[in-house]
Amino acid sequence: MANNVSIIEDGKKQFIVVKIGSEQYGIDISYVDNIVSMQKITRVPKVQPYFKGIINLRGEIVPVMSIRTKMDLEPDEFTDVTRIIILKLEEHGVLGILVDEVKEVVTLAPDEIDKVSYDAKNNKSNFINGVGKNGEELISLFDTNSIIDETEAV
Amino acid sequence: MDVSQYLEIFIDETNGHLQILSDCIMTLEKEPENMDVINEIFRAAHSLKGMAGTMGFKRMQRLTHDMENVFQEVRSGNMNVTSSLVDVLFQCLDAIEAYLDNVKESSDEGTDDNEAIIKELNDILAAGTGNAPEEEKKPEPVEEKRAAGEEKYPKRYLEIELSEKEKEELRDAEKKNMSIYGVSVFIQEECLLKAARAFLVFKAVEDFGNIIVYNPSSQDIEDEKFGFEFSFYMVSNEDINKIMEVAQAVSEIEKVIGEKMTYTELTAALEKREAAEAKAAQKKAEEKKAAESKAVAAPPAAAVPAAQQPAQATAKKTTPGKPVTNRTVRVDIEKLDALMNQVSELIIAKNSLVSIGATSDSGSGSANSQAFHEQIEYLERITTGLHESVMKVRMVPIESVVQKFPRMIRDLSKKLDKKMELQMTGEDTELDRTVVDQIGDPLQHLLRNSADHGLENAETRRKRGKPEVGTIHLNAFQEGNNVIIEVSDDGNGIDTESVKNKAIERGLITPEQGAALSQKEIIDFLFMPSFSMAKKISDVSGRGVGLDVVKSNIEALGGDVEVKSVLGEGSKFIVRLPLTLAIIQALMVEVRGEKYAISLGSIETIEEILPQDIKYVQAKEVIHIRGMVIPLVRLDQLLDCPPDEAEKESLTVIIVRKGDKFAGLIVDELDGQQEIVIKSLGKYINNSTKIISGATVLGDGEVALILDVNTLF
Repeated sequence: MANNVSIIEDGKKQFIVVKIGSEQYGIDISYVDNIVSMQKITRVPKVQPYFKGIINLRGEIVPVMSIRTKMDLEPDEFTDVTRIIILKLEEHGVLGILVDEVKEVVTLAPDEIDKVSYDAKNNKSNFINGVGKNGEELISLFDTNSIIDETEAV
Repeated sequence: MDVSQYLEIFIDETNGHLQILSDCIMTLEKEPENMDVINEIFRAAHSLKGMAGTMGFKRMQRLTHDMENVFQEVRSGNMNVTSSLVDVLFQCLDAIEAYLDNVKESSDEGTDDNEAIIKELNDILAAGTGNAPEEEKKPEPVEEKRAAGEEKYPKRYLEIELSEKEKEELRDAEKKNMSIYGVSVFIQEECLLKAARAFLVFKAVEDFGNIIVYNPSSQDIEDEKFGFEFSFYMVSNEDINKIMEVAQAVSEIEKVIGEKMTYTELTAALEKREAAEAKAAQKKAEEKKAAESKAVAAPPAAAVPAAQQPAQATAKKTTPGKPVTNRTVRVDIEKLDALMNQVSELIIAKNSLVSIGATSDSGSGSANSQAFHEQIEYLERITTGLHESVMKVRMVPIESVVQKFPRMIRDLSKKLDKKMELQMTGEDTELDRTVVDQIGDPLQHLLRNSADHGLENAETRRKRGKPEVGTIHLNAFQEGNNVIIEVSDDGNGIDTESVKNKAIERGLITPEQGAALSQKEIIDFLFMPSFSMAKKISDVSGRGVGLDVVKSNIEALGGDVEVKSVLGEGSKFIVRLPLTLAIIQALMVEVRGEKYAISLGSIETIEEILPQDIKYVQAKEVIHIRGMVIPLVRLDQLLDCPPDEAEKESLTVIIVRKGDKFAGLIVDELDGQQEIVIKSLGKYINNSTKIISGATVLGDGEVALILDVNTLF
């Protein structure tokens, strides 16, 4: 499955560590097209509630999704460090996700990643396909594809 | 016989033969007496005919057969090779090539009968052989003057029609010892202002005498409705060479030919030509008859207009004499798309400059900013022009799509055992390439629908006092920023009662609701997916197989479908398509600070109304303007904007229109008109209501949404 590709495949993987709420999440760097600072998001009426709207990224229209809304967290608070991570997915094009802060880029070896047990599936862990250990800190690794699948791309 | 396995060989060989023919005909033009070349051509044409016949490509076979006839005559020496013959032969080659292209694409030769070309071929055959003896008798200079160089310039003036009055004028002039000159002028094909050149020629020669008759008419020449040559008869006391000299002196004139003629010569030539024409016409009529009897069950009544139509078409085609060659370049559509994208980017950049100009405007009124504004305006003109040009390049006539339909209707006619004919008008209406590519299926569906469900069988039609042959009409035309394609039939029409009953039966509406529905609302049920899927219903209603697909396909192109129907008299499906897909003129409006774009094409007027003008009909807000009751839509509510605190003193209402329906949109602000580049919202956003049809980037980098007002109806 595509979900596991980023883990199984050869050797080390790089992840962008971002903060959403109190937790740290890792996003596979191979999916990241760009990181842009917060800008005006144009609201689009009558669409899924977790879509904040669309932005203009160098002339291209990019939809922006709120991970917080999707994971039933507190609504986004926009600060100086709020960023929009632009993900590029082969099939469906470009998508922005809102994060509270971008921390760093880490490189994880396969043995530093634990798979999440799928038994305890709740809404939130649906997007997580592993936990990375970066020194003392734990990073939940986003399953980028399932973020998209969940949006029922049309 | 299954011939598909030979298709590739056929295509290859045909290509080869076409090339041979083309080369040989070129040679033949230069060396009309070269027997070897003629033999070679004959062989190639013969093989072509044989191959086409084997593969079952009847039209191709017919065309090559007629070509072969001509070559036969040439070979046996009954006919001379003239440049007009060569022209027609090249047209034939083009037509065969078109067949071949069709074969490559669809293993079918296509539906173009090439009547015009075949007629021309036969005309030439008739003129060349039937009148051959007469030609021998023709007055002396003709034969001598036929030097190789002059072959290209036939004596077109011999073809001029003369009215009685004109004949009289010529006769009178001759009596007064003036000379009659027939003159043909050939303009260079690169010439852009043909009418102007022609005018200069006339002006020059009229110093020497009077022009009695023009061909084409002087009006047509003025309107540039001619090929690259025109002819006239004039009377003068001057020497012909002098006249030709001044005419030739006009720039971009390729050649002037002319000779002194006597009145008797002139009338003789005229008569001879008339005779030839009559003969050709007769021959054609016979051919027509033969073709007709072969054609599908077309009764004589219908055959008459059908026969007339191609005849008119040929007439139109032959009048310019020499075919006007189009100079074209084939370009990959992807390159055009890339160009289009770049133009879009340019327009966005231009819009940014405009908005910078607008903001800096308030500060300084210096000469500098004046100059800046002038340049911006200049840039604006250029980008708009550039956009239009690019759009035009992308425009193709819908002909390429609709030309397969007559054949389809013929097949359907056989299959359904109903008599029907398809009339098409406006095939030259142009649409964006991408739209044309995708409009074929929906149109085909509508035609099928009309043929299958719309038209009654012959017996029923007779009982109802209609002509036995049902008519389906496909009409295309441009209306503002839209192209309308109408598919109408004179069949049964939609039985709204039974549609309504079905809707009630299926629990879509209650009987009470049903009673209140307008005819239009009932017809709309036919476009509902679940509704039309049920076979039983489509049988009863006579409509609805896959109409939902038609609707969604057309909507995907930014268009819509409307139906008008009168029970017992027929129905009409009106497909409305946007002229362009990528860039539109839009009115920018603001609703609670959010910017939206509304296509100018759908805006009728903009009104300023007072809150007390709003009336209520069935608890819905309406306004009454100029005799029309128009439902109001509060955009802020529709778009889930935060409610407004204070009631305004006056409201801005944009009256939009779809077909003959109107609606008024209440907005907060108007931001003026702008050229916007439509961008998709992407695949992630589930935009099921379709109110927002896309987004655009404004000059200041902000994003505005595009409202599709068609969804409001």
